Order: sequence, then structure tokens, then C-alpha cells
Amino acid sequence: MPPLRLLSVDPSDRGSQRCRLGPGLMSTLGLRLGSPLLVSLPGGSCLCTAWPRPDLAEGFIQMDLKCFSPGLTSGLPAHLTLDPVQLSPLPCSKLKRVKVTVIVQSHDFKKHTHSSLLHEFVKDMLRGVYVHREYVVNMEDFNTDIRYVRIVWVGPDPAAAAGVITSKTALEIIEVQTVQHYKSLLLKEVAPPLGGLEEVTASLREMLQLPLFYPSTLTSLGVSCPRGVLLVGPPGVGKTLLVRRVVMEVGASLVVVRGPEVVGSRPGESEETLRAVFENARSAAEEGPCVLFLDELDSLFPRRSGSSSAENRLVAQLLTLMDGMSRSDRFLIIGATNRPDSLDPALRRPGRFDREVIIGAPTLLQRKAILTVLCERMPVCPTVNMAELAQITTGYVGADLSALCREAAMHALRENIKGSGQQLVEMKHFQEGLKAVGPSCLRGSLGRTDLSPVLWEQIGGLEEVKTKLRQSIEWPMRHPEAFVRLGLRRPRGVLLYGPPGCAKTTLVKAAATSSHCAFLSVSGADLYSPYVGDSEKALAQLFQQARACAPCLLFLDEIDTLIGSRSDGGAPNSVQTRLLSVLLNEMDGIGLKTVERRGTERILQAEGVEQSHTDEELECQEVCNKDVMVVAATNRPSSLDSALLRPGRLDHVIYVPPPDLQARLAILKVCTKSMPVDSDVRLEELAASTELYSGADLENLCKEAALLALLEENMEASSIRHTHFLQSISKMSPSLTAQQISAYLLSPQ
Amino acid sequence: MSLQGALRRSFLLLQEQQGVWGSILQECDSLAESLGNLGEQMGGLARVRLSDTPLRVFPDLQERLRFQLVQEADLLLQRLRGRMSDLQSVRDSISNQASAVLLLYEDAADTLDLAALSRRSSVVPSAADMLEWLQDAERYYRQQFLQRKILLQTLRLEDLSQVEGFPQRWKTLESPDSEQRITDTLCRLSFFMESQ
Amino acid sequence: MTSSNTKFSAVTGSSRKVADNAADWHNLMVRWDKLNGRGFQLATNIVNMRRSQTDRRPPDDVPSASTSQSFLPVVQQHTAAAADLQEECSKLQAVVDQMVVVVEKMERLTAVQKGLQDLEEFQFGPEGRASPLCHSWRTREFVDSAQVLLAAFSQELKLKQVVLQELAHTASADLQLVYLSCWLHQPYIPPQSRLTLEALLLETGHRPL
Repeated sequence: MPPLRLLSVDPSDRGSQRCRLGPGLMSTLGLRLGSPLLVSLPGGSCLCTAWPRPDLAEGFIQMDLKCFSPGLTSGLPAHLTLDPVQLSPLPCSKLKRVKVTVIVQSHDFKKHTHSSLLHEFVKDMLRGVYVHREYVVNMEDFNTDIRYVRIVWVGPDPAAAAGVITSKTALEIIEVQTVQHYKSLLLKEVAPPLGGLEEVTASLREMLQLPLFYPSTLTSLGVSCPRGVLLVGPPGVGKTLLVRRVVMEVGASLVVVRGPEVVGSRPGESEETLRAVFENARSAAEEGPCVLFLDELDSLFPRRSGSSSAENRLVAQLLTLMDGMSRSDRFLIIGATNRPDSLDPALRRPGRFDREVIIGAPTLLQRKAILTVLCERMPVCPTVNMAELAQITTGYVGADLSALCREAAMHALRENIKGSGQQLVEMKHFQEGLKAVGPSCLRGSLGRTDLSPVLWEQIGGLEEVKTKLRQSIEWPMRHPEAFVRLGLRRPRGVLLYGPPGCAKTTLVKAAATSSHCAFLSVSGADLYSPYVGDSEKALAQLFQQARACAPCLLFLDEIDTLIGSRSDGGAPNSVQTRLLSVLLNEMDGIGLKTVERRGTERILQAEGVEQSHTDEELECQEVCNKDVMVVAATNRPSSLDSALLRPGRLDHVIYVPPPDLQARLAILKVCTKSMPVDSDVRLEELAASTELYSGADLENLCKEAALLALLEENMEASSIRHTHFLQSISKMSPSLTAQQISAYLLSPQ
Repeated sequence: MSLQGALRRSFLLLQEQQGVWGSILQECDSLAESLGNLGEQMGGLARVRLSDTPLRVFPDLQERLRFQLVQEADLLLQRLRGRMSDLQSVRDSISNQASAVLLLYEDAADTLDLAALSRRSSVVPSAADMLEWLQDAERYYRQQFLQRKILLQTLRLEDLSQVEGFPQRWKTLESPDSEQRITDTLCRLSFFMESQ
Repeated sequence: MTSSNTKFSAVTGSSRKVADNAADWHNLMVRWDKLNGRGFQLATNIVNMRRSQTDRRPPDDVPSASTSQSFLPVVQQHTAAAADLQEECSKLQAVVDQMVVVVEKMERLTAVQKGLQDLEEFQFGPEGRASPLCHSWRTREFVDSAQVLLAAFSQELKLKQVVLQELAHTASADLQLVYLSCWLHQPYIPPQSRLTLEALLLETGHRPL
């Protein structure tokens, strides 16, 4: 038999439960006029009565969705072809009894309609309809407040699942629900994925479930239920998603308030809308647990100011409404904000927003969990290592990671279009994506620098310094378990000092490159501000951002210009001293602000649950690298405040010496690597004759020699000869002096 | 053919009941109009603060007038409900007729060929068409009746906006298209109905 | 009235007087209802005129070049409308005057009823007569019902007088509506007063038991 094309239903057939077929097909299937017919469709099935098409044409099918399985609630897909085997006649007897759930449009209707009246209406509506157990009957064609009827049970024959309702069928209404509630129950099955927030989810779920489902237990304990929960966290960590997810899991209905919807232009309008929202939640709570979600709370209810602005009245209204919630109002208010400090403090006391749940930027393990969830539905190449990806995405929040995955998938798609054929997302696509998507924690941060990667090998000499730096920066990141085993604490800060031009900055760059962590760099100019207190605030904010995306390397170049010493007789209240105190506090303060909490406090346990080795390692890394590592560089160590140099602050002080003979040779080798150097060039000799040259000097020397070669042999120069080097040496003088170096040798402490 | 005869009788009944339905609805319309009018008066009374008007010398006026108005409205509602039972009898007669014809068809279905049922001539539509139209008409009256009944039964006199908007809502329930479709059907069947 | 007259032809004295009074009450109330109906028509006209006036007002508040030529006719139209309004108002005034007469008659009836009671007390002492005047009511009860009716109608009359004074001067649509609905639904004559009258008619034998 040929397939049938599904056409949309004729308007005059709406509500008739008819299924229009060609008469030929009807005869083949043995159908009479109006015989019940079960049509299976993608997503569910539908019970209809068969009627010939008015034009008697074959090959088409039209269906009025009157009685269907819940999966088809959202309607039929367009452009569908059905095979005739999907149609099967279904013998239907007259039903004696039927139990139903009625789904009505509004709470008002539910409240004001007497049950006997409703019974009468529904019975009238259902007469003559063929119904099937567990199916939904659509009543929208009646155009009343009764929208759907869900058939729960049909009788008397337990074997027959379907039947026709006559005027003699006894109807029993088990429950009356609103459409909103019904739809939320339907949606329960398709909850959005959520990674890495298990602990927060659990605590939030408990908070929702306890008062909503076991109110009697709480009252018997004499405890009043919490009414409000405040979610605090930076943008993009998934606060809104979390609420939706938890609400769905618990099976509660959700009333969402977005800021602009509430605020109206007329005086008093906003308050009125807010009251209506609460009323809405209250009526929704009558038929099941309900959550009132106020997103972007800070924009709606800012700190009240002295003048009588509209916001003040709105805040007052919210306070009144929250205080006016009685014990019988079984709904919970969840507010979400990323700027808790700008909220009105009156909102944050018990009785209003009792609990505050802080969601920080995701930690390493959380990022891994998020990535795993995100990549679940993507064809990801099995070689992509989520742990590795999580490691290089420090400072990325959930939204960033989702953007990253999208970006990676787009790259894979573009490549696929070009014709490589394989539709898999590989690591290189993620790498590409990383270039386009930056961590939102660092967005707009003043220390964000585009770092061109520098490898350790690109720095000649200074082996000892490199080792020390690796010890204090790279090792704790790479081998945290060793540190834990030996009870070592990673240093808080490192101070590099030494004569200018000896690769201090380059060393830090190399360290940042090798350790895969976020890198922030500031110099004096960044922090300078003509306003009092601005510089301090900027520095504090810098630390806050650095902590949000820890592990993080914070590089303070030329720290002596940034921060003075308290002892060297400057004005006691200068910007420098204030910055110094901020720095000391941030590095070694009492603790973090509660708002900056990330993940849950985790302590390493010896008897862990069975975990794979890599997981353990990741956890180790996560626990050990929560702090910000401060690296400072200066060439005037003597002008630093001594408080900055004591253990716990910049506790690792590394002297970067001017290059010795060996180092100079190494530097020259590195510098001339890309130069066509003539075979007569004796680098050892050059190294010996460049005493007191710094690294920068040596680099300059090579450049000068190359220029000289060009000068002498016009543009055709193909190699640089030894004489060029010698000539350059004679022109240049070293930038360091012996006296200077001896001054550094006195330890700064 | 007895099915033909039954169909003919049904459509004759439908024609007759259509007229009855229309005349009852006309009565209802004027009642609904009056009810809306009363609603407006109640609304006006609720909006005016009598203490600010020359009527302030009658302290109990508001209460008394409201009582009178509600009583009047109640009376009107009763009369409307009375009309509803007339509508119901129209609906019931059409419903009964339709189900009787369908039953007749089902009893005879084994002897009737689908092709024969769906055969039509230039003057007489096919039996399948007629069954369908009869069902459509029955559904229309059932729907109409139920909509009006729900509107009437869920009307609360305390809700002034509901009472004021009642005539409009009553009017919107009218479905001239469907009414016209039934009239058209009856026109198409006029030859069939006249032939004995 | 003829039927009641024949029925009560044999009855004399106080009983006769009571029965006649009841019939008069009935007649007065029918008359009142007629007046009320006419008055409502007039009141509706007045409100409609007022509304059409206010509707027409805005354009001639800002006379433009084109309308200034037709300014005179507009004024004339206005004065004509005002005259119409005045006429309707005086008609309504006439209706209310007649209502005043009705209420005055009601007062007289009540006074007569009171007089009958006084006479009875004078004849038979404070307990009153032993056998009832008609079926079962004591004389006192006739006076009571008369007073109830009188109170209702005189209060309603006061309301009507206020409405008459204010109706043409109010611009608020809601208030106009309230005046009209006051006139139509007569809040001070509740259904109980009709019942009182019916009881009176039953007692005096004008309505068959």
C-alpha cells in the first residue's frame, strides 16, 4: 500500500475526532463509517474515528487530535508520511465507568466552579468521544476553561483499554489541575543537563523538599520553614539553570519574575505587578509545591537610598509581601543575584531570604563534570581528554564552557564542510575555541594580558633560577601529591630581583606558559588613578578576580614603583603605603569573603572512596591550588617594605644574577639561533669579552651585529661574521656596573 | 431504504429545531443585554463615592441600591437559566435523533457497502456525507449549549467586570460560520428532504 | 373598585374606612409607579442630552478658521439644545410635583388611620376592640403598615428630589448612571413594601384569601 501524506486538519472537522482516509483504504482495513481507529505516530498515538475524505481521494490522511497519548500534547509535526500499517482498527465497547483528571485553564475557574457543576460539564463534553486509558482528551474546541481531560482509568472490562463514552457512562473526577501545573509535570522528563553542581543541587533540593513536602514534620519540631533562598554567584555559573533543574526534579511549579516585567512606568504599577506575582504563586501553590523565582534580584531591589525613589517603594513592597507570607502559603522564594552587596540589607535577614547559597566559579573537578555533561551529546573524539581540557580552562564558568563547546563544534563543522569527512570534535577544535572564548571571570579585568607563550628553552642560562621558579610555581601544580606527602605548603609569593635586563619578566612568562594557569599582570600605570581610594579598590578587585579563577598567577612587575616602603620616610598616607596595606591584606588576610566561596570545602582524605588515579590527582590539584600565586619583580629590592618579604607573603626571594660566562654563552646561542652566523664566529670568545653585559645587552649586541652586516654588504648580506660582533662590542658599553652588582649581592632581607 | 428515511426525518427535525434555537437565542440576547446593563449600573455605583456627591444625605443609599440591583440581576439570571433549559431540549432532540440514525447505520452496516454509501448524485448527497453533516450539526449544538451554560453557570454577580462584560462574552459565543454551514447543508438537502 | 364596593357595601364604620384606605393605598402606589416610569423616561432623555452636549463641546472649544464661520449656528444649536434640556427638566419637575401630591395623600391616609386607632382607644380603652376589624389584624397593625409605607415613599421622594436637582448638572458618567439607577430601582421602596401592601389588601378582603 502506498504511504499516506499527513495533511493538517480541516477547520470544520476540528473537535470531531475524525480521521479522514480514502474510502479504498477504509475498505481494506475493514473500517465502517465512524469506526474507532488507533494511529501510531512518532512520539505517541492517537485515537480517531474513520471517515472517508469528502473528495474520496486516496493517499492522504487528516486527523483531528482529540484523544491522544500525552507525548503528542505539543501537536503533530508537519510534513509527515505514514505507512498504512500504522493504522489499526480498535474495537471499542460502551464504557460503564471512567475516571479522569480535569485540566483547567485558570485557578479562578478551579476555585469558583463547584465540583458537581464541573462534573456535569465534563460529562457533557465527553459524550460520544472514544477514549483510551492514559490518553488525554483535548477540549480546546469547546473554547471554555476546561482544556484537557486525562483519562486515568476505564471500566468495566480491565482488558479493554479503550471505549466510547455514552450518556450512561459513570464519570468520576479524581483531580482538577491547571494547565500550568500539568505542563510542568509533562516537562519533568526533559530536564536540562547540569554538571558539577551536585552539592549545591542537593542542598537546594533538600531545602525545597522539606518545607514543601513534609510541612507537618517541621511544624512538629517547632521549626518554621525557610521561606527564601538567595543564590549568589558570578554571572554564568548556572544559577537560573540550577533553579529550573531543581524545581523540575522536585516536581514543583515555577513562577518566574524577570526584572523588566515587573517594573512599570506609572507610579504604583510595579508594586501592583509584584503583588499580582505573589498572588499568582499563592494560587499555584494550592495545587502543589511552588517556587517563586526572582532573577537578577539586585536590579529590582537595590539598596534603598535616601531619596524616595520608585525602587524604595518596590523594596518595601517585597518586604511586606515576604513578611505577609503565612505558614500556610506553601511556596518558596528563590532570588538570584551576582551582586549581593548591592541588595538591600533588609532582604537578607532570617524570615526573608533565610538561606544564602553561594555558587562560585567552577573548580577543576566541577569544570570536568560540566564538560562531560556538555560533551555528552556531541560527537567528541575519544582522544579528547576532559581532565586536560578542564585544566586549561581555568576561570571559565559554565556559560563559558558551553560557549567553548559550541565554538569547538562550529570549528569541526567548518572543517567538515571543507570536506575532511569525519564528523568528530577533536582537541584541536577545542584549542581553536579557546582562542575565541575567554573566561568571563577575567573579562574586563585590568590585568588581563595576551601572553605570547615563552618556553623555558628560549631563555639562555640561569639554570639555577629556572629550577627555583619551577619548584615554586610549576611543581605544586603538576605534582601536588608530592607536596602533600611531604607536608609542604606551596609558597604564597615569589620575588624576583636582580639588575635590569636580566630576563626577570621573561622568566615569569615562561613559568606562566608552562603551568597552564590564568595569568594576570599589572604594572604601576594600570593601578594609577587620580581619585583617592581608586587604586586600592582596583588592586583588591584584581585579587578578587584572580581568586575567582584560581589557580592564577598574578604578576606585579616593577613592584617597587607600585608599592613603597613604610620605613623610607615617605608621607605616611601616600597611595603607595595604602596599596601596600591592601597587598599585605590580600596575600595574608584573615580569610575570603563568603561571596567568593567556590565549591565546597574539601579536605584530602587518606581513605578515599574508590577513585581512579587520575581523579585523585585532579582532586589533589584542586585542593592544593586554591590560592593566587603572586610573583613580583623588582630591580630595587632595597626599597621594598620588609613586611612584604616575610614568610607567608613573598616568601620565596630569588636573585636573578647578571649572566656569567656560561650563561652569556647560552644566551648568545639562543639569540643567534635564528641568525645565519658565519663559521668564524667564536661565541665563547664573545661571551668572555662581554663581562657585565645583561641578557638584554647581549640580544641587542646580536641585533647590532646583524645590522652592521647589512650596512656593510648592502642588502645582500647572507651571514654575520665575527668582525661584525667585535665591531658592535666596541661600540656598546655594558649596562651593568660592578658596583651595582655588588649592591644586589647584599641580601635584601 | 430505511437509513435514507431516517436521515430525511432527522434533517426535517434539524430544520425545525434550528428555528426554535434561533428564537430562544434572541430572547436570551435581550436578557443578556439587560444583565450587562445592570452590571454597568453596579459598576457605576461601585466607582462613585457617594459621600462626595449630593447623595451624601442618604447614608444607606449605596447598600440599598446595590441590594436592589443584585436582586434584579438575580431575577434576570433565573430567567436566562429558564431559557437554557429550552435550549437544552433543542439540543437533546437533535442529539437523540443523530445517535438514533447512527445506531440504525451501525445495525445495518454489515449489509451496506462503503462504496455505495459514499456514492452521490447531482441532487442527493451520499449517505456518508449526510451522516457526517448530521454529526457536525449535533456537535455544533452541543458545543454551543455547553459554552453558554458554562458561561452562565460560572457567572458570579460579585465580579462586576464579569457581569458588565457578560453581553459581549455572550455575543462572542455566536458562531455565524457554523450556523451558516448548517443552513447551507439544509439548502443542499432541500431537494432530498422534499422528495418522499 | 366596583367589586370591592359591592362586597363591602354592608360594612360600615371603622371597618369600611379601613377597607377604603387600603384600596386608596393600592391606587396611590399604582399611580406612583406610573409617575416613576414616566420620570425615568424623562431622566434618561436628560442624561442623553447632557452626554451629546459634552460630546459636541470639544470642537468648538478651539474654533479653527473653518469652524468660525459656522460658529453662530453652533451657538444657536447650543441654545436650542439647552432649551430642550430645560423643557425636559421642567417636565421631570412636573412629575416630581405630582409625586409630592401622591405622598401628601399618603400622609393624609396615615393620619386617618391613626385617627381610627385613637377613636378605638377612646371607645374601648387601651386594649382596643375585642373582635378584629377585618380578618385578624389589630387596628394598631394597620397604622404600622401605613407608617412603614409612608416612610418608604417619603424617603424615596426626597431621593427623587435630589436626583431632579442634580441630574442635569452632573458631568460624570458614573454618577449619571447612579442617578438613573436610583430613579429606576427605587432603593427606598424595597420588595417588602410591596409585600406590606399585599398583606394589607389581603387583610381587608380586596384580594381573595
